Amino acid sequence: MNCTDCTARLHDYVDGELTASDVHTVETHLRTCANCRAQHEALRKLLATVAALPPEIAPERDLWRELRTEIEQPAVPAHQRSAAERGLTPPSIPRMVVIRWCVPLAIAASIALLAILLERSIASRGRDSAWSVATVAGAPRVGTRLVRHEAAFRVGQWLETDAASRAKVAVGRIGEVSVGPNSRLRLIDTESTNHRLELERGTLRALIWAPPRLFFVNTPSATAVDLGCAYTLAVDEDGNGELHVTSGYVALEDDARESIIRMGMMCLTRRGAGPGTPFASDAPEALRAALTRFDFERDTRPAALSAILALARADDAITLWHLLARTEHAERADVFDTLAKIAPPPAGVTRDGILAGDVAMRRMWAEHLGLATFAAR
Amino acid sequence: MTYVDRVATPLAFVVTEIPDDESAVIRRAQARDLAAFERLYRDHVGRVHAICLRMTANLTRAEELTQKAFLTAWQKLPHFRGESAFSSWLHRIAVNTVLADLRAENRRTQRVFNTDDPAVFEIPRTTPHVGIRLDLEQAIAALPVQARAVFVLHDVEGWQHDEIAKQLGVATGTSKAQLHRARKLLQEALQ
Repeated sequence: MNCTDCTARLHDYVDGELTASDVHTVETHLRTCANCRAQHEALRKLLATVAALPPEIAPERDLWRELRTEIEQPAVPAHQRSAAERGLTPPSIPRMVVIRWCVPLAIAASIALLAILLERSIASRGRDSAWSVATVAGAPRVGTRLVRHEAAFRVGQWLETDAASRAKVAVGRIGEVSVGPNSRLRLIDTESTNHRLELERGTLRALIWAPPRLFFVNTPSATAVDLGCAYTLAVDEDGNGELHVTSGYVALEDDARESIIRMGMMCLTRRGAGPGTPFASDAPEALRAALTRFDFERDTRPAALSAILALARADDAITLWHLLARTEHAERADVFDTLAKIAPPPAGVTRDGILAGDVAMRRMWAEHLGLATFAAR
Repeated sequence: MTYVDRVATPLAFVVTEIPDDESAVIRRAQARDLAAFERLYRDHVGRVHAICLRMTANLTRAEELTQKAFLTAWQKLPHFRGESAFSSWLHRIAVNTVLADLRAENRRTQRVFNTDDPAVFEIPRTTPHVGIRLDLEQAIAALPVQARAVFVLHDVEGWQHDEIAKQLGVATGTSKAQLHRARKLLQEALQ
């Protein structure tokens, strides 16, 4: 296969529309051709960006009132009624002349209008002092008020759902948060660089389409920092939490520790202990249990670490990388040796450097694993 | 049950896109309960409007088509049997509403929609407003009409080429060519 053939098939390849033998041919070519590989990466990047587009765009104004009028007056065709109600007169110049000139102008004007509105949208991000809450089920409360359909959600107010209610919160213009039953959530800040909620208990699902580190959720045991992602976060009555990342990356932070959780991974938090070590959502139960003991039961840490290293799979490299910063001396050496077997360190990262706590080397390894871009510490 | 066991259980609300009582709301709306239909409207208007806006790149038309799609949904709701999710059924109505409008506009402007030449659908592309980051939404809005429709249906809404081709009245190869063209234009615009 040459580059022309590969380029011609690249779209079908990423769309999964090639036969197995064609897939093999394309992949063989991609392994040897840097130019085609770059094209492939660019296409993948575009599709990933498209996949992150918000599924909903609320209209700029409430359309329900007009729609209701239309519904309640079904006898007259809608287009006739709206023309009559607006008092429009028939065009006095030939229709095609109007169309020939007006349609391109209308299209250009519409695109310009869209650009202006998007500019305003971008410029006004975070300026809103209140967000909005919409009822999804039951009767959530904002403060003491029941929310029948929609309500403003202001800084300092609590949003509460009972066992039968759910709500959706518009996070300014950068995302949305679905709030599950039995949840208690407070709006802390709406500044453009600090969209912040506090989840005291319950569950939420966040979908954020802003750049990283603009949206935060405080919990009693850690702060979830959006890094461009979709995730679910649950907090129990004791303030302990569990985070699942379904798209992109999230950081869980407290004063002492930071965990970076990638799509398909999860992480537990405990009040007083902070974020635990992230692990793959499909990790074996024995590995999960060993991590829980390591993170939250100090007395059993040595045995727990031995179990983790024995159970670690190729998919657990990110888990082990986190352990490099959470161990010392001989334990760190054991972690290094196990991680090096399943994900060898890149050039410039040495065993001695990692054992000495070289932060730059740890970051280089993280970058090699696809994490360093987001690591703040 | 320990905490870990409990929290490891999938969260019900996470995997349930439709509220538990939506079927009850639909039944009430089918019985011509306007308050119930308003509830469905408020739950789904963002999704419907997103489709209309992305496919038309025109705020006014998107609003009109959103209303029209919901009006159609109200009229057809008594025939909704629940064989698909309500959101899927409504989504289909929204797409059909937009495509019908695109076809009507095409007839009005005497353009030939049924062609295998993507260049026929080229319109002058506007220069991005100075100072605005040319983001993906703007780049999509600036795509030629049919390339935009194919791109939104395939890459944003997840339709297959044969279905898109049937709806647009073009060959499957044309749908693919339009998609590839749209992606190329977007990559150029976003560089």
